[in-house]
Amino acid sequence: MANRLLEVSDLDVAYGDVGALWGVSIHVDPGTIVAIVGANGAGKTTLMKAISGLVRPKRGEIRLGGASLVGRAPEEIARMGIAHVPEGRGLFRQMTVLENLELGAFQPKARPRLQQSLEKAYALFPRLRERAHQKAGSLSGGEQQMLAIARATMSDPALLILDEPSLGLSPLVVQQMFALIQTLHGQGVTILLVEQNIHQALKVADHGFVLKTGELAMQGSGAELLADPEIQKAYMGVLE
Amino acid sequence: MSARMLNWIAALGVAALALAAFLPGAVDSYAFSFLFFVFLYAIMAQAWNLVAGFGGQVSLGNHAFFGLGAYTTAILWSGNYLWGSLYDAYPRIYYFDPVTMALGGLVAALAAVIIGLPLLSKLRGDYFALGTLGFGEIVKVVLINGGDFTGGAFGVVAPAGTFDTLLPHYLVGLGLMVGVALALRLLMRSRYGLALIAVRDDEMAASANGIDTLKVKVAAFAGSAFIAGVAGSLYTYYIFHVGPDSVFDLNWMLLPLMMTVVGGTGTLFGPILGAFVMYAVFDLARIAVPDYHPVISGLTIILAMLFLPKGLMRVRGRRVA
Amino acid sequence: MLNIPPPEILLQLSINGALGGAMYGVAAVGLSLIFGTMRLIFLAQGAMIILAAYFVRALFYGLGIDPFLSLLIVVPVGLGVGWLIYQGLFRRAAAEEDRNISLLIAVGLMFLVQNLMTVVWGGNTAAVVTTYTASGIELLGVRTSFTRSMGFLIALAGTGLVVLFLRGTLVGKAVRAASEDMEAATLMGISPHRVNAIAFAIGISLAGAAGVAVATTFPFNPFAGFIFSLKALVALALGGIGNVAGALAGGIILGLIEAYVQYFISGGWTNAIAYGVFLAVLMFKPEGLFSRPYKKA
Repeated sequence: MANRLLEVSDLDVAYGDVGALWGVSIHVDPGTIVAIVGANGAGKTTLMKAISGLVRPKRGEIRLGGASLVGRAPEEIARMGIAHVPEGRGLFRQMTVLENLELGAFQPKARPRLQQSLEKAYALFPRLRERAHQKAGSLSGGEQQMLAIARATMSDPALLILDEPSLGLSPLVVQQMFALIQTLHGQGVTILLVEQNIHQALKVADHGFVLKTGELAMQGSGAELLADPEIQKAYMGVLE
Repeated sequence: MSARMLNWIAALGVAALALAAFLPGAVDSYAFSFLFFVFLYAIMAQAWNLVAGFGGQVSLGNHAFFGLGAYTTAILWSGNYLWGSLYDAYPRIYYFDPVTMALGGLVAALAAVIIGLPLLSKLRGDYFALGTLGFGEIVKVVLINGGDFTGGAFGVVAPAGTFDTLLPHYLVGLGLMVGVALALRLLMRSRYGLALIAVRDDEMAASANGIDTLKVKVAAFAGSAFIAGVAGSLYTYYIFHVGPDSVFDLNWMLLPLMMTVVGGTGTLFGPILGAFVMYAVFDLARIAVPDYHPVISGLTIILAMLFLPKGLMRVRGRRVA
Repeated sequence: MLNIPPPEILLQLSINGALGGAMYGVAAVGLSLIFGTMRLIFLAQGAMIILAAYFVRALFYGLGIDPFLSLLIVVPVGLGVGWLIYQGLFRRAAAEEDRNISLLIAVGLMFLVQNLMTVVWGGNTAAVVTTYTASGIELLGVRTSFTRSMGFLIALAGTGLVVLFLRGTLVGKAVRAASEDMEAATLMGISPHRVNAIAFAIGISLAGAAGVAVATTFPFNPFAGFIFSLKALVALALGGIGNVAGALAGGIILGLIEAYVQYFISGGWTNAIAYGVFLAVLMFKPEGLFSRPYKKA
């Protein structure tokens, strides 16, 4: 317990009619990839927003390395080491690729390392170097997603949250994206991944949690969940 | 206090105010003219409440509609111009002629539709507040340049110059205040009222549910202008001389706004309560610190927004509508 | 109506119009910045400009400080006042979902400032008259007012500095990011209160610079600010809401329109026609004349 990076316990969030959460507990250990899967409206995005401070939980506790996140503003949580790539990417479309990356390193502790982080990001995403002075809004969907992830790595976060990174991308680009997630994992980045693409997500995940209408339905290692007949029936059937 | 009890108190209050008018000596008392102005401001406050409280669009141009209603009434009433035989054919009921008052409201409502369409469409809503504020200034300029028809910078003088008693003003004012409140109550319980609230609370969702949001917003704005125009008409019957600086004074917009905010925007009783409380405060300030009292109006809005953003009627977290 | 005036007159009109319009433009740049991060049209901007003009006048007649030199005082003071206005009046309201609360605070501030000025300096027209008030300079072969030309330079320099700040510094980029998408900006660790306060500080310091230009050029009174806010709004609409450089250009275009209306029609109608242009732009080109599509966050 003591070496858990993120610990969410018994979380209730009221959030309109869909996407509310009831007594959800999850945890992320350092250096792992954890996948949150479930159907549309199961509350996955709400859970991510609660962790990064964009919505306020009604009850429950969220701890990052032991420090409570509940009630803190999103910018404060970002400075504590959580980089959240929201659904829809949250790029500044009118600004250039380079400016977006620079803003990824806005927080004071990331600023001195701006140049190194930039080189690291360019090494991982060579395409972004070519497009550095283009407006982010002019990139293709796949490039935009890469930029959003690259921007999130600029602060060298303790935890990287990716909300539906494969949404709206072609199958080939989705493959590249998951390869990238594994590369980042290899570099020691801890990743919390939300996906509707359950098969892919569980394949790369060390651990997975299944949300169903706002409640935790199941959890286990990625491989266990993949092999689970109920998961296969409920979710994979639709996909294959 | 339950909503039902509040309704009873309101009904009793209205009856008492109406009966009080017939007490001996009441007509000549200070309280009587004080109350007439409370009614006038309460009507203006309710007008603002419709567009801003229920509709969620902050109009800063209701003084323009007040002024348009006042001018329309004065021009029709004086009738010395243009109308000729048409005017002669119409039986003249000088005071509180309902057709003239309604026309005052209609002219204002028409103006509201004309500027509401560009100002309220989706992308441009952000311009609404300042755009409506500018409108008052522009109407004033147009009327000053209107030649004989509008009497230029001097304005229009009504043919009758005096009244013997304020009793009809008082009763008409009270009647209009109650009538407007009842009409809003009916309106807000109708399908239109629900649509208006839906647009205020979430325009995207309302539009996704098939509500024509522009139409709903423009209609609320026009309704607000109509009420303000009728109030302007009522004021003409009191003041007789309608001039650009008097009826387009920003206070006709500012004070009702403040009264609504203090009483509780988006509630039915809030604007009336706010009109009573704030008009009393301002009358006192006018007497006690005449030089500083305009400063108080700005300060009141700021303090109300900082410490009482939901108004008196919602202090206990309840909404009375 | 049909006789076309000689080109010298047209040039004269254009230069005077552009010089005057730049002042609306600099007011509009402030509005644009504040609108950007807070989605608030800051109605009190004109009143703040007039307040600055009175301050410049007090510095001149009280301490003998030259109005243009007083920029060195007014601009930093404006930064501080803007910061304080945000922290004291708008910080709480900015956190509320209901934007109307901020709008009404701005309305209250406008009336408070106007009436305080009346109490302190009286309601009469005031002016700053220096040795160079009446002097002129030669511009493109046209003789034009020295103070107006200085006002134009101030507007240009002020806007230029703001653009440099927004494009060249990380904090400036954060302000632009927050204007585009506040939620995404907070995920970068950008504090909304910080960028809002910066926008306010710069906006009010621009009001200070505009106050210097107004004080040296026009006679003014406590209520002159309202029409200034209105013209700044028209400039903002012409330039496209949220486009800082466009706001200055919009002001210059408005100044040109006014100069032509005044010459060809009548001075009494300039405000009405400026407003008509405003409504027409909203009707037919709501994203502004320079066509950067307006995106809501």
